[in-house]
Amino acid sequence: MPIDTPQPPAPPTGPQTTPQQQGGVAVLERPEADTPWVTLVWNDPVNLMSYVTWVFQTHFGYPLARAEALMMDVHTKGRAVVSTGSREKCEADTEAMHGYGLWATFQKDD
Amino acid sequence: MASPFRHRGGRLVADFDAEEVAVVRHVLELTRAFVAPERPETGDPFLDLVAGLGDEVDPQEPADPALARLLPPASREDAEQAAEFRRLTEHGLRQRKAATIATAIAALDGATPPTLEIDLDQARALAVALTDARLILGERLGLRTDEDSERLHELLDAALAGEVELDDATAQKMAYYDFLSWLQESVTGALLQGR
Repeated sequence: MPIDTPQPPAPPTGPQTTPQQQGGVAVLERPEADTPWVTLVWNDPVNLMSYVTWVFQTHFGYPLARAEALMMDVHTKGRAVVSTGSREKCEADTEAMHGYGLWATFQKDD
Repeated sequence: MASPFRHRGGRLVADFDAEEVAVVRHVLELTRAFVAPERPETGDPFLDLVAGLGDEVDPQEPADPALARLLPPASREDAEQAAEFRRLTEHGLRQRKAATIATAIAALDGATPPTLEIDLDQARALAVALTDARLILGERLGLRTDEDSERLHELLDAALAGEVELDDATAQKMAYYDFLSWLQESVTGALLQGR
């Protein structure tokens, strides 16, 4: 099966925007640059299995088998780690997942 | 009577009568109004930027659970992290959701009943827009767990078989939810198939 990796309809933008640097708003402490972060997607009773699979394929470019395996993890275990990397990457992935209507969170990988 | 989407010449085609298109359009229009940012855009990027700079009140987690589900906290443990994320992303997220739903509505406006033909970008927008609509309806129907979802389907089957009576408002929400779920499964299935 040919796997399309089309662009999502609403591409994410980096959440690090200028307001943080303006007006003296405190910037949260950043961890070491090499500390890995993870993006989690949580199960919900509304999102269809096919749709969740499609989102993982479309946004992350994962092959169908990996996208389906992650979807099944979300469905049966209640959540799954869908991406890892820098804090900025996980923030961007979380924002993109919210754009798709999936409930995502990000945290330091313990 | 609606039929599932099928591929035709790089586009997706389905049968939809005018009433079915109107129902989906109506729900998406309500969804767009529900999720769109509270500060309306002026259409002038400079004025919008200046207006945004004046916002001194950080967005809070919405009191309406359906809106809270569309704009969920980005951490379940760290309230400070979730609040920072919300402050930085919520307005843009609401803008993009509203724009995606507007794309889906425009696709429906191009319908020529009994045929609905859309391109793949419109199909992607429709799949995403239907998610937001279903999340709102699901919240209003009290769907919090997979078991709730199974109970809803059993109740709907029983109602269709005449075994239980539902009040009109619940019956209508359930019928909309069921139809939108079917439609989303159809468009997502076609997108997953590739061409």
